[in-house]
Amino acid sequence: MSDQSMNASTRSEAVSTAQRIVPAKARTEEGSLALTLQRRFLPGFGLGLIYLFLTLMTIFALFPVYYVIQASLAGGQNLYTTDLHILPANPTLDNYVYAFTQLPLLNWIGNTFIVCSLTTIIGLAFSTTGAYALSRFRFNGRDATLNGLLAIQAFPALLALPAYYLLLNSLGLINNLAGLVIVYSAGTLVFGAWNIKGYFDTLPVELEQAAMIDGASHFQAFWRVTLPLATPAIAASAIFMFIGGWNEYALANLVLNANDTAGSNLTFILGLYSLQSDYHTPWGIFAASSVIISVPLIALFLYAQRFFKSGLTIGGVKG
Amino acid sequence: MSHGYDWEGEKEMIKVSRVTIFLYLLPMIITIGLITLWPIIYTFYLSFTNYTLFNSDTYGLIGFGNYQKLIFTTDTDLFFVIGQTLLYVIVCVFFFLLIGMSTALALNNQKIKGLGFWRVALLVPWAAPSGITALIWKFLFNYDFGPINQIGRVFFGKGFGIPWITTPWGAFVAVVIVNVWLSYPFFTIVILGALQSVPQELGEAANVDGAGAWQRFTSITLPLLRPAITPATILSAITTFQMFTTVYLITQGGPITSADKPGFTEFVMIYMYKRILGSDVANPHYAFIAAFAIMMFIILGSATFLARSLGQSRRKEALA
Repeated sequence: MSDQSMNASTRSEAVSTAQRIVPAKARTEEGSLALTLQRRFLPGFGLGLIYLFLTLMTIFALFPVYYVIQASLAGGQNLYTTDLHILPANPTLDNYVYAFTQLPLLNWIGNTFIVCSLTTIIGLAFSTTGAYALSRFRFNGRDATLNGLLAIQAFPALLALPAYYLLLNSLGLINNLAGLVIVYSAGTLVFGAWNIKGYFDTLPVELEQAAMIDGASHFQAFWRVTLPLATPAIAASAIFMFIGGWNEYALANLVLNANDTAGSNLTFILGLYSLQSDYHTPWGIFAASSVIISVPLIALFLYAQRFFKSGLTIGGVKG
Repeated sequence: MSHGYDWEGEKEMIKVSRVTIFLYLLPMIITIGLITLWPIIYTFYLSFTNYTLFNSDTYGLIGFGNYQKLIFTTDTDLFFVIGQTLLYVIVCVFFFLLIGMSTALALNNQKIKGLGFWRVALLVPWAAPSGITALIWKFLFNYDFGPINQIGRVFFGKGFGIPWITTPWGAFVAVVIVNVWLSYPFFTIVILGALQSVPQELGEAANVDGAGAWQRFTSITLPLLRPAITPATILSAITTFQMFTTVYLITQGGPITSADKPGFTEFVMIYMYKRILGSDVANPHYAFIAAFAIMMFIILGSATFLARSLGQSRRKEALA
């Protein structure tokens, strides 16, 4: 989970570094020579190759998506089918109906939704307050806290697997969604605190000082002035916190599947995995379930992209 | 770039009591301390004990015994697992760069029609949820029913079939393909972003096809792209080194090549995971795996540190 969020932040960092650095170095007078060279070579052949390459890459990129959608619409199959169709012969929604009515799909979605929402709420509540203190107050140990957070980030949660297992087991949180929420939300905090702190740093502190002169308490200034202004950073962080848990398998399996009771207390990815490893479930039903769960997630991701440019600030890098 | 940190010192910040500051920080500090830091410290402690499932009441400190066993025993799994993982990292990163670079160059070519379409199509794997796509890929690789082998049969006859998941190299190639599928869009975006800030004439120079173009590319474009590519490469290498979900869901670390060795795709995280939660592990040796984890942490920590200091020096250089 923390890997996921870290990934997101490093992505934005890398992209912005790229944009910042390159023009500064591009001082060379080779341009005119390059243009003559370019004119000399016939572009037609090269362009054809590029189109061929793009077509092959598009097939590579879209094939799993295409295949899972077409399989989800293929009806009337037995366990597995060896007939190959480009489009299903008799498209039907049977697989979707089956997935909703015969599988604990709604339970899985519900569990995942509850876990991810609680993770996001706890993650945001704890990281915004922490970020506010780190951005707006000066105290001994502030630098140490900031650096300590980064150092912790270098230790992937999965490495502490034995310790997690023993910890959760002794707290009675194995096989309990609450255990998962606790582990996930702790995993969001470093990314959340650094990202939101970076954004707070870009907001003028004078706004809050003005509010406090007018009689607001520090908490009111934080709640009414700073938080609303930081919406892009908070939204971007929230989305990464939410999506991270949706995809996470290892910790979810550690916490929830300890007794191997394939049932209604799983998150989606665990349920889907149990569906696929059990050879009684036709592939079409697995495909339909995958589509059902992916569509809202992809929609959320695409919708959220507007926040990514302005809302990801890790390391104080913000344009 | 508002770096906050540099100028804040001269500025009047909000003054509140120490207790208030502490209260703001408290929820975050307690959660991180208990749920993140404590397991790390406990892992460190465990690595010096002989804790297993069966001696949890009587275990004790044994010093560096676990580390000694990991590094100096002749039949240790450590070097095999790290070797397989590094091989995986190198092959994956090579293809990330190759495909990321070629797609970015293609998408940066203004003569190509329908750039908007190509760009969206090529970036689809980035938006797809990786856990679910791993399971989809696993089916695509299925020997009898998977579409890849079925399409092969259309062209090469009924006997055709690539044993993807069941043979060592088949499984290895399969998890490379899936990881490349998942990760190349990140490189496409990073490199495309860098290419678009290369001045127009230089950018066009890189797109010329033919012998001269290659030289242009290596001597002009590539050096300009390096500041963007280097951190992205190191970070991807770190992520791939600790990759778990995608590989585990597809191969479970298998297949086994000999009885006393871990599976062929049993990369570091999968190795740990299977020794703790694997269904064939009767008595998980928590302490031994903790020592393994600490060694991985040292590797990952130094790589992260290196990446960060490289990134910082480059950024300073660029701003100077």
